Amino acid sequence: MTNPAYRRSQLESLVEAQGGCRATPPLLLKADPYFDLAGEEFGRRLLLTTDMSGAEYCLRPDFTLPIVADYIAQGAGEPAAFSYLGPIFRQRETGPAEFDQAGIELLAQPDGDIALDQVLTFARAALSLYGIVPQVHLGGVGLFEALLAQADMPDAWRSRIRHRFGHPEAMDRLLSRLEQAPEQKRSEQPSRDDLIEDVTARMVSAGLSLSDGRSPAEIADRFLEQQALDAAQVPATTLRLLRDYLSIKGDALAALRQVEALGEKHRLFLGAPIRAIRRHLDGLGEARVSFDAGFSPRLDYYTGIVFEMRGQGGSILVSGGQYDRLLERLGATAPIAASGCALWVDRLEAEGPK
Amino acid sequence: MTLTLAVPSKGRLEEMTRDWFAQRGLTITRPGGARSYLGAIEGIPDITVRFYPASEIARELIRGNIDLGVTGRDLIHETSEAGPASVEFARNLGFGGADVVVAVPDAWIDVTHMHDLADVASDFRSRHGRWLRIATKYITITRQHFAQAGIAEYRIVESLGATEAAPASGVADIVVDITSTGSTLAANGLRVLEDGVMLQSEANLIVSKTADWSKERRAVLDTMLVRLHD
Repeated sequence: MTNPAYRRSQLESLVEAQGGCRATPPLLLKADPYFDLAGEEFGRRLLLTTDMSGAEYCLRPDFTLPIVADYIAQGAGEPAAFSYLGPIFRQRETGPAEFDQAGIELLAQPDGDIALDQVLTFARAALSLYGIVPQVHLGGVGLFEALLAQADMPDAWRSRIRHRFGHPEAMDRLLSRLEQAPEQKRSEQPSRDDLIEDVTARMVSAGLSLSDGRSPAEIADRFLEQQALDAAQVPATTLRLLRDYLSIKGDALAALRQVEALGEKHRLFLGAPIRAIRRHLDGLGEARVSFDAGFSPRLDYYTGIVFEMRGQGGSILVSGGQYDRLLERLGATAPIAASGCALWVDRLEAEGPK
Repeated sequence: MTLTLAVPSKGRLEEMTRDWFAQRGLTITRPGGARSYLGAIEGIPDITVRFYPASEIARELIRGNIDLGVTGRDLIHETSEAGPASVEFARNLGFGGADVVVAVPDAWIDVTHMHDLADVASDFRSRHGRWLRIATKYITITRQHFAQAGIAEYRIVESLGATEAAPASGVADIVVDITSTGSTLAANGLRVLEDGVMLQSEANLIVSKTADWSKERRAVLDTMLVRLHD
Protein backbone atom coordinates (compact mmCIF):
# COMPACT_ATOMS: atom_id res chain seq x y z
CA MET A 1 0.00 0.00 0.00
CA THR A 2 1.95 2.99 -1.20
CA ASN A 3 -0.64 4.73 -3.31
CA PRO A 4 -1.26 8.49 -3.10
CA ALA A 5 -4.46 8.11 -1.03
CA TYR A 6 -2.60 6.03 1.55
CA ARG A 7 0.22 8.53 1.78
CA ARG A 8 -2.30 11.31 2.17
CA SER A 9 -3.90 9.51 5.11
CA GLN A 10 -0.43 8.99 6.62
CA LEU A 11 0.20 12.71 6.31
CA GLU A 12 -3.18 13.39 7.95
CA SER A 13 -2.16 11.17 10.87
CA LEU A 14 1.22 12.85 11.18
CA VAL A 15 -0.43 16.28 11.27
CA GLU A 16 -2.95 15.01 13.85
CA ALA A 17 -0.17 13.52 15.95
CA GLN A 18 1.58 16.83 16.51
CA GLY A 19 0.10 16.95 19.98
CA GLY A 20 -1.37 20.36 19.58
CA CYS A 21 -4.61 21.69 18.34
CA ARG A 22 -5.73 21.02 14.79
CA ALA A 23 -6.43 24.47 13.37
CA THR A 24 -9.11 25.08 10.73
CA PRO A 25 -9.31 28.80 10.06
CA PRO A 26 -12.08 30.01 7.71
CA LEU A 27 -11.51 29.97 3.97
CA LEU A 28 -12.65 33.55 3.60
CA LEU A 29 -10.46 36.01 5.50
CA LYS A 30 -10.06 39.77 5.70
CA ALA A 31 -7.41 40.81 3.18
CA ASP A 32 -6.11 43.81 5.08
CA PRO A 33 -4.04 41.92 7.69
CA TYR A 34 -2.14 40.18 4.88
CA PHE A 35 -1.33 43.45 3.16
CA ASP A 36 -0.38 44.91 6.52
CA LEU A 37 1.92 42.06 7.40
CA ALA A 38 3.48 41.10 4.10
CA GLY A 39 2.90 44.09 1.83
CA GLU A 40 2.08 44.32 -1.85
CA GLU A 41 4.64 41.73 -2.88
CA PHE A 42 2.61 39.00 -1.20
CA GLY A 43 -0.64 40.85 -1.82
CA ARG A 44 -0.41 40.32 -5.56
CA ARG A 45 -0.69 36.59 -4.96
CA LEU A 46 -4.03 36.88 -3.14
CA LEU A 47 -7.37 35.90 -4.64
CA LEU A 48 -9.45 38.88 -3.69
CA THR A 49 -13.12 39.59 -3.45
CA THR A 50 -15.23 42.37 -1.93
CA ASP A 51 -18.38 42.31 0.14
CA MET A 52 -21.37 44.64 -0.26
CA SER A 53 -19.77 47.34 1.85
CA GLY A 54 -16.64 47.26 -0.29
CA ALA A 55 -14.46 45.59 2.35
CA GLU A 56 -11.82 43.37 0.83
CA TYR A 57 -11.60 39.66 1.55
CA CYS A 58 -9.24 36.99 0.28
CA LEU A 59 -9.37 33.24 0.02
CA ARG A 60 -7.11 31.85 2.76
CA PRO A 61 -3.57 32.26 1.34
CA ASP A 62 -1.78 30.68 4.30
CA PHE A 63 -2.51 29.26 7.75
CA THR A 64 0.07 31.03 9.88
CA LEU A 65 -1.57 34.44 10.02
CA PRO A 66 -5.11 33.37 11.01
CA ILE A 67 -3.74 30.84 13.53
CA VAL A 68 -1.45 33.37 15.18
CA ALA A 69 -4.01 36.19 15.07
CA ASP A 70 -6.58 33.95 16.73
CA TYR A 71 -4.03 32.88 19.36
CA ILE A 72 -3.36 36.53 20.20
CA ALA A 73 -7.07 37.31 20.34
CA GLN A 74 -7.56 34.51 22.89
CA GLY A 75 -4.95 36.14 25.12
CA ALA A 76 -1.44 35.18 24.12
CA GLY A 77 1.16 33.91 26.54
CA GLU A 78 0.55 30.23 27.24
CA PRO A 79 2.65 27.77 25.19
CA ALA A 80 0.58 26.43 22.32
CA ALA A 81 1.03 24.15 19.34
CA PHE A 82 -1.11 24.12 16.22
CA SER A 83 -1.06 21.89 13.18
CA TYR A 84 -2.95 22.15 9.93
CA LEU A 85 -3.59 20.51 6.59
CA GLY A 86 -5.94 21.99 4.03
CA PRO A 87 -6.33 24.09 0.92
CA ILE A 88 -4.82 27.52 0.44
CA PHE A 89 -5.24 29.87 -2.51
CA ARG A 90 -2.56 31.86 -4.27
CA GLN A 91 -2.06 33.20 -7.77
CA ARG A 92 0.82 31.29 -9.30
CA GLU A 93 2.56 31.37 -12.65
CA THR A 94 2.04 27.65 -13.09
CA GLY A 95 -0.29 25.23 -11.42
CA PRO A 96 -3.80 25.76 -10.06
CA ALA A 97 -4.45 28.60 -7.60
CA GLU A 98 -5.88 26.16 -5.06
CA PHE A 99 -3.51 23.70 -3.42
CA ASP A 100 -2.94 22.01 -0.09
CA GLN A 101 -0.53 23.06 2.57
CA ALA A 102 0.31 21.31 5.83
CA GLY A 103 2.36 22.60 8.72
CA ILE A 104 2.81 23.36 12.38
CA GLU A 105 3.04 26.50 14.49
CA LEU A 106 4.75 26.36 17.88
CA LEU A 107 4.07 29.44 19.94
CA ALA A 108 5.49 30.69 23.24
CA GLN A 109 7.51 27.53 23.74
CA PRO A 110 9.96 27.80 26.66
CA ASP A 111 12.94 26.67 24.57
CA GLY A 112 13.18 28.00 21.03
CA ASP A 113 15.88 25.49 20.04
CA ILE A 114 13.79 22.50 21.08
CA ALA A 115 10.80 23.98 19.28
CA LEU A 116 12.81 24.33 16.08
CA ASP A 117 14.02 20.76 16.43
CA GLN A 118 10.42 19.66 16.67
CA VAL A 119 9.60 21.61 13.51
CA LEU A 120 12.53 20.07 11.62
CA THR A 121 11.58 16.59 12.81
CA PHE A 122 8.01 17.07 11.65
CA ALA A 123 9.19 18.26 8.23
CA ARG A 124 11.60 15.33 7.84
CA ALA A 125 8.92 12.85 8.92
CA ALA A 126 6.47 14.26 6.37
CA LEU A 127 9.04 14.05 3.57
CA SER A 128 9.97 10.50 4.48
CA LEU A 129 6.33 9.47 4.01
CA TYR A 130 6.95 10.31 0.38
CA GLY A 131 10.35 8.64 0.35
CA ILE A 132 12.13 11.95 -0.08
CA VAL A 133 15.59 12.65 1.34
CA PRO A 134 15.72 16.41 0.97
CA GLN A 135 18.45 18.94 0.53
CA VAL A 136 18.20 21.21 3.54
CA HIS A 137 19.12 24.82 3.09
CA LEU A 138 19.79 26.79 6.28
CA GLY A 139 20.01 30.52 6.78
CA GLY A 140 21.15 32.39 9.87
CA VAL A 141 19.15 35.52 10.56
CA GLY A 142 20.38 35.62 14.16
CA LEU A 143 23.93 35.06 12.98
CA PHE A 144 23.80 37.95 10.54
CA GLU A 145 22.21 40.24 13.12
CA ALA A 146 24.98 39.35 15.60
CA LEU A 147 27.65 40.08 13.01
CA LEU A 148 26.00 43.33 11.98
CA ALA A 149 25.70 44.51 15.58
CA GLN A 150 29.44 44.05 16.14
CA ALA A 151 30.84 45.17 12.80
CA ASP A 152 32.60 48.51 12.87
CA MET A 153 30.43 51.14 11.18
CA PRO A 154 28.40 54.26 11.91
CA ASP A 155 25.25 53.10 13.70
CA ALA A 156 22.78 54.54 11.23
CA TRP A 157 24.07 52.23 8.53
CA ARG A 158 23.20 49.07 10.45
CA SER A 159 19.44 49.28 9.96
CA ARG A 160 19.90 50.17 6.31
CA ILE A 161 22.06 47.10 5.75
CA ARG A 162 19.77 44.87 7.83
CA HIS A 163 16.82 46.01 5.78
CA ARG A 164 18.42 44.63 2.60
CA PHE A 165 19.30 41.23 4.07
CA GLY A 166 17.66 38.50 2.00
CA HIS A 167 17.52 40.64 -1.14
CA PRO A 168 20.93 40.01 -2.77
CA GLU A 169 20.51 42.59 -5.55
CA ALA A 170 19.48 45.40 -3.21
CA MET A 171 22.27 44.45 -0.79
CA ASP A 172 24.81 44.42 -3.60
CA ARG A 173 23.68 47.84 -4.79
CA LEU A 174 24.01 49.28 -1.28
CA LEU A 175 27.45 47.78 -0.67
CA SER A 176 28.65 48.97 -4.09
CA ARG A 177 27.43 52.44 -3.29
CA LEU A 178 29.27 52.38 0.03
CA GLU A 179 32.43 51.07 -1.62
CA GLN A 180 32.39 53.90 -4.11
CA ALA A 181 31.55 56.60 -1.58
CA PRO A 182 33.58 59.55 -2.80
CA GLU A 183 35.82 61.58 -0.54
CA GLN A 184 33.96 64.79 -1.06
CA LYS A 185 34.09 67.93 0.95
CA ARG A 186 30.69 68.77 2.36
CA SER A 187 29.42 72.25 1.85
CA GLU A 188 28.29 74.18 4.91
CA GLN A 189 25.24 72.47 6.47
CA PRO A 190 22.12 74.55 6.86
CA SER A 191 20.82 74.57 10.43
CA ARG A 192 18.02 72.19 11.42
CA ASP A 193 15.68 75.11 12.09
CA ASP A 194 16.29 76.58 8.66
CA LEU A 195 15.66 73.21 7.05
CA ILE A 196 12.42 72.68 8.93
CA GLU A 197 11.28 76.14 7.90
CA ASP A 198 12.16 75.44 4.28
CA VAL A 199 10.44 72.04 4.24
CA THR A 200 7.36 73.45 5.99
CA ALA A 201 7.10 76.19 3.38
CA ARG A 202 7.32 73.65 0.58
CA MET A 203 4.71 71.42 2.16
CA VAL A 204 2.30 74.27 2.76
CA SER A 205 2.64 75.53 -0.78
CA ALA A 206 1.94 72.02 -2.11
CA GLY A 207 -1.07 71.70 0.17
CA LEU A 208 0.38 68.79 2.16
CA SER A 209 -0.71 68.02 5.69
CA LEU A 210 2.05 68.78 8.20
CA SER A 211 0.89 66.15 10.67
CA ASP A 212 -0.46 63.21 8.68
CA GLY A 213 2.48 61.32 7.20
CA ARG A 214 6.03 62.62 7.21
CA SER A 215 6.48 65.81 9.20
CA PRO A 216 8.91 68.63 8.36
CA ALA A 217 11.06 67.69 11.37
CA GLU A 218 11.28 64.05 10.25
CA ILE A 219 12.30 65.09 6.74
CA ALA A 220 14.86 67.61 7.97
CA ASP A 221 16.33 65.10 10.42
CA ARG A 222 16.67 62.40 7.82
CA PHE A 223 18.20 64.93 5.41
CA LEU A 224 20.83 65.85 7.99
CA GLU A 225 21.36 62.22 8.89
CA GLN A 226 21.82 61.40 5.21
CA GLN A 227 24.41 64.15 4.86
CA ALA A 228 26.18 62.86 7.94
CA LEU A 229 26.04 59.31 6.62
CA ASP A 230 27.54 60.29 3.32
CA ALA A 231 30.40 61.82 5.28
CA ALA A 232 30.62 58.96 7.81
CA GLN A 233 31.83 56.15 5.67
CA VAL A 234 31.67 52.49 6.44
CA PRO A 235 35.30 51.33 6.80
CA ALA A 236 36.61 49.33 3.84
CA THR A 237 37.46 46.39 6.11
CA THR A 238 33.82 46.21 7.27
CA LEU A 239 32.58 46.25 3.69
CA ARG A 240 34.99 43.44 2.86
CA LEU A 241 33.76 41.55 5.93
CA LEU A 242 30.15 41.87 4.74
CA ARG A 243 31.02 40.83 1.19
CA ASP A 244 33.07 37.87 2.43
CA TYR A 245 30.39 36.83 4.87
CA LEU A 246 27.49 37.06 2.41
CA SER A 247 29.38 34.99 -0.17
CA ILE A 248 29.75 32.03 2.21
CA LYS A 249 27.62 29.21 0.91
CA GLY A 250 27.90 25.46 0.72
CA ASP A 251 28.11 22.35 2.89
CA ALA A 252 26.95 23.42 6.34
CA LEU A 253 29.93 22.25 8.39
CA ALA A 254 32.49 23.73 6.02
CA ALA A 255 30.51 26.96 5.66
CA LEU A 256 30.18 27.39 9.42
CA ARG A 257 33.94 26.86 9.80
CA GLN A 258 34.43 29.65 7.25
CA VAL A 259 32.12 31.89 9.28
CA GLU A 260 34.11 31.07 12.40
CA ALA A 261 37.40 31.90 10.70
CA LEU A 262 35.99 35.16 9.41
CA GLY A 263 34.69 36.00 12.87
CA GLU A 264 38.08 35.35 14.42
CA LYS A 265 39.84 37.44 11.82
CA HIS A 266 37.58 40.40 12.57
CA ARG A 267 37.41 39.72 16.32
CA LEU A 268 33.65 39.13 16.39
CA PHE A 269 31.78 37.02 18.94
CA LEU A 270 29.63 34.71 16.85
CA GLY A 271 29.89 31.60 19.03
CA ALA A 272 26.31 31.49 20.29
CA PRO A 273 24.49 31.80 16.94
CA ILE A 274 26.94 29.38 15.28
CA ARG A 275 26.40 26.82 18.05
CA ALA A 276 22.65 27.24 17.66
CA ILE A 277 22.89 26.25 14.00
CA ARG A 278 25.31 23.35 14.66
CA ARG A 279 22.99 21.92 17.29
CA HIS A 280 20.35 21.27 14.64
CA LEU A 281 22.64 19.58 12.13
CA ASP A 282 22.67 16.24 14.00
CA GLY A 283 18.90 15.97 13.92
CA LEU A 284 18.81 16.26 10.16
CA GLY A 285 20.17 12.75 9.65
CA GLU A 286 21.25 11.72 6.20
CA ALA A 287 19.85 14.79 4.50
CA ARG A 288 22.38 16.98 2.71
CA VAL A 289 22.59 20.24 4.61
CA SER A 290 23.95 23.47 3.23
CA PHE A 291 24.29 26.88 4.80
CA ASP A 292 23.92 30.08 2.84
CA ALA A 293 24.97 33.19 4.76
CA GLY A 294 22.85 35.50 2.61
CA PHE A 295 19.68 33.40 2.72
CA SER A 296 16.67 34.86 4.51
CA PRO A 297 13.01 35.43 3.74
CA ARG A 298 12.38 39.05 2.89
CA LEU A 299 10.08 39.55 5.88
CA ASP A 300 11.78 41.17 8.84
CA TYR A 301 9.87 39.24 11.52
CA TYR A 302 12.11 36.21 10.98
CA THR A 303 14.75 35.67 13.66
CA GLY A 304 17.23 32.95 14.61
CA ILE A 305 17.37 30.19 12.02
CA VAL A 306 15.38 29.79 8.80
CA PHE A 307 15.30 26.82 6.45
CA GLU A 308 14.07 25.39 3.19
CA MET A 309 13.95 21.76 2.11
CA ARG A 310 14.14 20.90 -1.56
CA GLY A 311 13.63 17.68 -3.44
CA GLN A 312 15.49 16.26 -6.42
CA GLY A 313 13.55 18.54 -8.76
CA GLY A 314 14.90 21.57 -6.92
CA SER A 315 11.50 22.96 -5.98
CA ILE A 316 10.92 24.04 -2.39
CA LEU A 317 8.95 21.38 -0.51
CA VAL A 318 9.08 22.86 2.99
CA SER A 319 9.97 26.29 4.29
CA GLY A 320 10.04 27.53 7.83
CA GLY A 321 12.10 28.70 10.73
CA GLN A 322 11.90 30.95 13.74
CA TYR A 323 9.93 34.18 13.70
CA ASP A 324 9.96 35.64 17.16
CA ARG A 325 8.97 39.10 15.91
CA LEU A 326 5.79 37.95 14.18
CA LEU A 327 3.44 38.02 17.15
CA GLU A 328 4.34 41.57 18.07
CA ARG A 329 3.76 42.53 14.48
CA LEU A 330 0.26 41.14 14.77
CA GLY A 331 -0.53 43.00 17.95
CA ALA A 332 0.92 40.98 20.84
CA THR A 333 2.09 43.31 23.58
CA ALA A 334 5.24 41.37 24.49
CA PRO A 335 7.75 39.37 22.44
CA ILE A 336 6.62 35.75 22.02
CA ALA A 337 8.74 32.97 20.58
CA ALA A 338 7.38 31.36 17.45
CA SER A 339 8.56 28.74 15.00
CA GLY A 340 6.98 26.55 12.40
CA CYS A 341 6.98 25.41 8.84
CA ALA A 342 4.71 24.93 5.86
CA LEU A 343 4.76 21.94 3.48
CA TRP A 344 3.75 22.21 -0.15
CA VAL A 345 1.65 19.08 -0.35
CA ASP A 346 1.07 19.24 -4.11
CA ARG A 347 4.82 19.36 -4.70
CA LEU A 348 5.39 16.47 -2.29
CA GLU A 349 2.87 14.41 -4.19
CA ALA A 350 4.48 15.30 -7.50
CA GLU A 351 7.96 14.50 -6.15
CA GLY A 352 7.17 11.25 -4.34
CA PRO A 353 6.74 7.83 -5.99
CA LYS A 354 3.63 7.51 -8.14
CA MET B 1 -8.69 33.44 -42.20
CA THR B 2 -9.00 37.18 -41.71
CA LEU B 3 -6.78 38.97 -39.20
CA THR B 4 -8.09 41.44 -36.68
CA LEU B 5 -6.26 44.73 -36.30
CA ALA B 6 -7.37 46.77 -33.28
CA VAL B 7 -7.05 50.54 -33.43
CA PRO B 8 -7.69 52.99 -30.55
CA SER B 9 -11.28 54.09 -30.86
CA LYS B 10 -11.04 57.79 -30.21
CA GLY B 11 -9.07 60.95 -29.78
CA ARG B 12 -5.56 61.85 -30.78
CA LEU B 13 -4.39 58.27 -30.55
CA GLU B 14 -6.90 57.16 -33.20
CA GLU B 15 -6.03 60.06 -35.44
CA MET B 16 -2.28 59.55 -35.21
CA THR B 17 -2.56 55.82 -35.72
CA ARG B 18 -4.57 56.28 -38.88
CA ASP B 19 -2.10 58.95 -40.06
CA TRP B 20 0.80 56.61 -39.41
CA PHE B 21 -0.75 53.83 -41.48
CA ALA B 22 -1.75 56.32 -44.21
CA GLN B 23 1.82 57.60 -44.46
CA ARG B 24 2.79 54.02 -45.31
CA GLY B 25 0.13 53.68 -47.96
CA LEU B 26 -2.48 51.86 -45.89
CA THR B 27 -5.74 53.70 -45.53
CA ILE B 28 -7.86 52.68 -42.55
CA THR B 29 -11.52 53.35 -43.17
CA ARG B 30 -14.26 53.72 -40.59
CA PRO B 31 -17.43 53.71 -42.68
CA GLY B 32 -19.86 54.25 -39.82
CA GLY B 33 -17.92 57.19 -38.35
CA ALA B 34 -17.03 57.61 -34.68
CA ARG B 35 -19.98 55.58 -33.50
CA SER B 36 -19.03 52.48 -35.45
CA TYR B 37 -16.52 49.99 -34.13
CA LEU B 38 -15.79 48.19 -37.36
CA GLY B 39 -13.45 49.26 -40.15
CA ALA B 40 -11.17 48.01 -42.88
CA ILE B 41 -7.90 48.68 -44.67
CA GLU B 42 -8.41 49.65 -48.27
CA GLY B 43 -7.09 46.97 -50.59
CA ILE B 44 -6.45 44.34 -47.88
CA PRO B 45 -9.67 42.37 -47.47
CA ASP B 46 -7.91 39.81 -45.27
CA ILE B 47 -7.71 42.29 -42.41
CA THR B 48 -10.65 43.48 -40.33
CA VAL B 49 -10.17 46.64 -38.31
CA ARG B 50 -11.83 47.03 -34.92
CA PHE B 51 -11.93 50.19 -32.86
CA TYR B 52 -11.41 49.56 -29.15
CA PRO B 53 -10.35 51.59 -26.09
CA ALA B 54 -6.56 51.34 -25.73
CA SER B 55 -6.65 49.34 -22.49
CA GLU B 56 -8.98 46.74 -24.00
CA ILE B 57 -6.61 46.38 -26.94
CA ALA B 58 -3.83 45.46 -24.52
CA ARG B 59 -5.99 42.92 -22.71
CA GLU B 60 -7.29 41.27 -25.88
CA LEU B 61 -3.79 41.08 -27.42
CA ILE B 62 -2.49 39.28 -24.33
CA ARG B 63 -5.42 36.87 -24.41
CA GLY B 64 -4.98 36.31 -28.13
CA ASN B 65 -8.52 37.39 -29.02
CA ILE B 66 -7.17 39.90 -31.50
CA ASP B 67 -4.16 39.35 -33.69
CA LEU B 68 -2.53 42.73 -33.73
CA GLY B 69 -3.25 46.18 -32.48
CA VAL B 70 -1.98 49.60 -31.62
CA THR B 71 -1.67 50.55 -27.97
CA GLY B 72 0.80 51.88 -25.42
CA ARG B 73 3.63 49.74 -24.12
CA ASP B 74 2.64 50.75 -20.57
CA LEU B 75 -0.75 49.08 -20.94
CA ILE B 76 0.82 45.77 -22.01
CA HIS B 77 3.05 45.81 -18.93
CA GLU B 78 0.23 46.87 -16.64
CA THR B 79 -2.54 44.56 -17.81
CA SER B 80 -0.74 41.39 -16.78
CA GLU B 81 2.64 40.28 -15.49
CA ALA B 82 2.67 37.89 -18.41
CA GLY B 83 1.84 40.74 -20.82
CA PRO B 84 5.25 41.50 -22.33
CA ALA B 85 5.92 37.77 -22.87
CA SER B 86 2.58 37.28 -24.62
CA VAL B 87 3.14 39.82 -27.37
CA GLU B 88 5.72 41.04 -29.83
CA PHE B 89 6.37 44.74 -30.23
CA ALA B 90 6.49 44.92 -34.01
CA ARG B 91 6.77 48.65 -34.76
CA ASN B 92 7.36 51.70 -32.66
CA LEU B 93 4.92 54.32 -33.94
CA GLY B 94 6.91 57.28 -32.67
CA PHE B 95 4.11 59.06 -30.84
CA GLY B 96 2.27 58.82 -27.54
CA GLY B 97 5.61 58.90 -25.71
CA ALA B 98 5.36 59.09 -21.91
CA ASP B 99 7.19 57.71 -18.87
CA VAL B 100 5.78 55.84 -15.92
CA VAL B 101 7.61 57.45 -13.00
CA VAL B 102 7.89 57.48 -9.22
CA ALA B 103 7.34 60.96 -7.82
CA VAL B 104 7.57 62.23 -4.24
CA PRO B 105 6.58 65.56 -2.69
CA ASP B 106 9.16 68.16 -3.55
CA ALA B 107 9.34 68.88 0.19
CA TRP B 108 10.96 65.47 0.73
CA ILE B 109 14.40 66.99 0.27
CA ASP B 110 16.02 63.88 1.73
CA VAL B 111 14.59 61.55 -0.93
CA THR B 112 16.27 61.77 -4.33
CA HIS B 113 16.70 58.09 -5.29
CA MET B 114 14.87 54.79 -4.94
CA HIS B 115 17.28 53.73 -2.19
CA ASP B 116 16.18 56.73 -0.13
CA LEU B 117 12.62 55.61 -0.62
CA ALA B 118 13.59 52.11 0.56
CA ASP B 119 14.94 53.63 3.79
CA VAL B 120 11.88 55.81 4.33
CA ALA B 121 9.52 52.90 3.61
CA SER B 122 11.35 50.55 5.95
CA ASP B 123 10.58 52.47 9.12
CA PHE B 124 7.49 54.34 7.93
CA ARG B 125 5.13 52.08 9.81
CA SER B 126 6.94 52.29 13.12
CA ARG B 127 6.90 56.08 12.84
CA HIS B 128 3.39 56.62 11.56
CA GLY B 129 1.45 53.48 12.43
CA ARG B 130 0.66 52.73 8.81
CA TRP B 131 2.48 51.81 5.62
CA LEU B 132 3.81 54.25 3.09
CA ARG B 133 0.97 54.75 0.62
CA ILE B 134 1.45 54.99 -3.12
CA ALA B 135 -1.33 56.27 -5.35
CA THR B 136 -1.29 54.82 -8.85
CA LYS B 137 -3.27 53.19 -11.59
CA TYR B 138 -0.15 51.17 -12.49
CA ILE B 139 -0.45 48.43 -9.90
CA THR B 140 1.38 45.65 -11.72
CA ILE B 141 4.25 47.88 -12.87
CA THR B 142 4.63 49.39 -9.40
CA ARG B 143 4.77 46.02 -7.69
CA GLN B 144 7.36 44.71 -10.13
CA HIS B 145 9.55 47.76 -9.98
CA PHE B 146 9.42 48.12 -6.21
CA ALA B 147 10.22 44.44 -5.75
CA GLN B 148 13.31 44.91 -7.91
CA ALA B 149 14.28 47.91 -5.82
CA GLY B 150 13.95 45.81 -2.66
CA ILE B 151 11.03 47.83 -1.31
CA ALA B 152 8.31 45.71 0.27
CA GLU B 153 6.89 47.97 2.96
CA TYR B 154 4.19 49.98 1.21
CA ARG B 155 0.54 49.87 0.26
CA ILE B 156 -0.95 50.75 -3.10
CA VAL B 157 -3.98 53.02 -3.22
CA GLU B 158 -5.66 52.54 -6.57
CA SER B 159 -6.19 55.85 -8.29
CA LEU B 160 -8.06 56.08 -11.56
CA GLY B 161 -7.73 59.78 -12.18
CA ALA B 162 -5.93 62.91 -10.96
CA THR B 163 -3.29 60.75 -9.29
CA GLU B 164 -1.02 63.78 -8.94
CA ALA B 165 -3.48 65.27 -6.43
CA ALA B 166 -3.36 62.27 -4.08
CA PRO B 167 -0.58 63.54 -1.75
CA ALA B 168 -2.27 66.91 -1.25
CA SER B 169 -5.64 65.32 -0.61
CA GLY B 170 -4.07 63.01 1.96
CA VAL B 171 -4.98 59.81 0.11
CA ALA B 172 -1.35 58.78 -0.41
CA ASP B 173 2.21 59.88 0.36
CA ILE B 174 3.73 59.50 -3.09
CA VAL B 175 2.59 58.59 -6.61
CA VAL B 176 3.47 56.41 -9.56
CA ASP B 177 2.09 58.14 -12.61
CA ILE B 178 2.54 58.58 -16.33
CA THR B 179 3.96 61.83 -17.62
CA SER B 180 5.37 63.15 -20.85
CA THR B 181 6.85 66.43 -19.65
CA GLY B 182 6.57 66.23 -15.88
CA SER B 183 4.80 69.58 -15.77
CA THR B 184 1.58 68.27 -14.19
CA LEU B 185 3.59 66.59 -11.45
CA ALA B 186 5.69 69.71 -10.87
CA ALA B 187 2.57 71.87 -10.73
CA ASN B 188 1.35 69.65 -7.90
CA GLY B 189 4.56 69.95 -5.94
CA LEU B 190 5.85 66.52 -6.92
CA ARG B 191 9.34 65.62 -8.08
CA VAL B 192 10.39 62.57 -10.10
CA LEU B 193 13.18 60.59 -8.41
CA GLU B 194 16.50 60.64 -10.24
CA ASP B 195 16.25 56.93 -10.94
CA GLY B 196 12.46 56.98 -10.82
CA VAL B 197 11.62 56.20 -14.46
CA MET B 198 10.07 52.73 -14.35
CA LEU B 199 8.99 52.39 -17.94
CA GLN B 200 9.35 54.41 -21.15
CA SER B 201 6.20 53.99 -23.12
CA GLU B 202 5.24 54.76 -26.69
CA ALA B 203 2.45 53.74 -29.02
CA ASN B 204 3.38 50.44 -30.62
CA LEU B 205 2.04 48.14 -33.27
CA ILE B 206 1.84 44.94 -31.30
CA VAL B 207 1.37 41.35 -32.45
CA SER B 208 -0.23 38.82 -30.14
CA LYS B 209 1.85 35.69 -29.62
CA THR B 210 -1.07 33.84 -28.08
CA ALA B 211 -3.34 34.26 -31.13
CA ASP B 212 -3.71 31.36 -33.52
CA TRP B 213 -0.93 31.74 -36.12
CA SER B 214 -1.53 29.33 -38.96
CA LYS B 215 0.79 29.53 -41.95
CA GLU B 216 -1.76 31.44 -44.01
CA ARG B 217 -2.49 33.97 -41.29
CA ARG B 218 1.22 34.46 -40.66
CA ALA B 219 1.68 35.18 -44.37
CA VAL B 220 -1.01 37.89 -44.30
CA LEU B 221 0.70 39.43 -41.27
CA ASP B 222 4.16 39.34 -42.81
CA THR B 223 2.95 40.94 -46.02
CA MET B 224 1.43 43.79 -44.06
CA LEU B 225 4.44 44.26 -41.78
CA VAL B 226 6.70 44.53 -44.82
CA ARG B 227 4.52 47.34 -46.14
CA LEU B 228 4.80 49.07 -42.80
CA HIS B 229 8.58 49.34 -42.92
CA ASP B 230 9.87 52.83 -42.38
